[in-house]
Amino acid sequence: MNTHISPAIIMRIKEFGESDLLVTFFTSERGRLKGVAKGGRKSQKRFANCLDLFCLTSLEYELKRKGDLHFLHSCKLINPFPGLRSDFSSLSLASYMIELTEILFPLGVTDKEMFELLKNAFLTLNEGGRTDTLRILFEARAMALGGYKINLDKCCGCGRPYAGEGRVVFKRSKGVIACMKCEQESKISPGLGPDTVKALRIIQSTPWSKVEDSPLTDEMISEIKPVFKLHMEYRIDRRLKTAKYLE
Amino acid sequence: MGIYPRSLERLIKEFSRLPGIGQKSATRVALYVLRSNRELAEGLAGSLIEVKEKIRFCSICFTLTDDDPCSICCNENRSNGTICVVEGPGEQLALEESGSFKGRYHVLHGVLSPLDGIGPEDLKIGELLNRLDGEGIREVILATNPTTEGEATASFLVKLLSEKKKGLKITRIALGVPMGGDLKYMDRMTLEHALSSRTPVTP
Ligand SMILES: [Zn+2]
Ligand SMILES: [Zn+2]
Repeated sequence: MNTHISPAIIMRIKEFGESDLLVTFFTSERGRLKGVAKGGRKSQKRFANCLDLFCLTSLEYELKRKGDLHFLHSCKLINPFPGLRSDFSSLSLASYMIELTEILFPLGVTDKEMFELLKNAFLTLNEGGRTDTLRILFEARAMALGGYKINLDKCCGCGRPYAGEGRVVFKRSKGVIACMKCEQESKISPGLGPDTVKALRIIQSTPWSKVEDSPLTDEMISEIKPVFKLHMEYRIDRRLKTAKYLE
Repeated sequence: MGIYPRSLERLIKEFSRLPGIGQKSATRVALYVLRSNRELAEGLAGSLIEVKEKIRFCSICFTLTDDDPCSICCNENRSNGTICVVEGPGEQLALEESGSFKGRYHVLHGVLSPLDGIGPEDLKIGELLNRLDGEGIREVILATNPTTEGEATASFLVKLLSEKKKGLKITRIALGVPMGGDLKYMDRMTLEHALSSRTPVTP
């Protein structure tokens, strides 16, 4: 038998037949997977009520020989993140994080760092962190892990390396920055101050547990927000369904 | 394409669109219908049409009903002043069958679920708030399921209800060890709830 036990975050659950559940989950070992929990709606013993949205669990699953549906054998609750169900804005942000993860990581694409990001983001949200800050931290890091890191190293026009001085503008078509000599600030090319660029650099390339201590100022948040709105719309080519519940 | 005549294939296809029914079960049911007498088919077809034509939402509690208002809202022997809020008609039926609640109901028709595109405006929440004053409600029992989305919906309602009516008693159904359960197999959260909502026992 090809059985694996892995920490996993429950992403979606659907009723399947009379007593089964169809579960999408993100594992640290094999990325996002889908599986069937036979008797999942009734079995207290094997699933101990922990097949619930956003829960961090220790999941035992068996790789199926064909297709991409696995069998879930059992499940143990590690952290139910009760704070995520304490109000609608937390539920919405957690859902948004799940949806973005689904878009960036197709079934079976392994990324241990993405699992860590999701877990740490839920831990912080569970403790009641500021949702606008958490959203930006998550977007920036998730996009970077998904292969859409914004290049903050040099101006895309003149090629001069950015030394951390003066404002720059964001160019969505290339996911890069340009210096003020080459480009002007506008609605579709929003500007960023040097401190914001520095912060963004850290957020994109550092695991969550290390960045959450260096909070973003309100000014940085208001500068980064439009940049990621444009960047995500352009790279992902659709608006996230859950985004409308965040406003 | 199929091995059966076209009309039978069509019936199988229609049955397999129902939840929890796969190709195999659909074929079994279709063959059964075919073998049975005409009465069964006519009864089935008639009630399928009737259910779509007659069943509607009760204009007070939004449960499914033939007559508006529904039999529970019309029943004068039930106590006024308490509303039990449930996710759907199935949950209401389960509570009704237990026979332990004699007040009024309100059916939300779902829970908040951003991932499925369900927000506050998709549920019968405004309708619930409107009932508070009109019916002199003193207590609202939140009986959504103890899932992530059910809990979030209950939290959301607590906020709205308390803002809408000062002094309103808002209660949440208890969460704990089920009948016939085994503590060894309970998750941490259920045990925490079971302990914190323990009740005094007298000899
Ligand atoms: Zn330049
Ligand atoms: Zn009614």
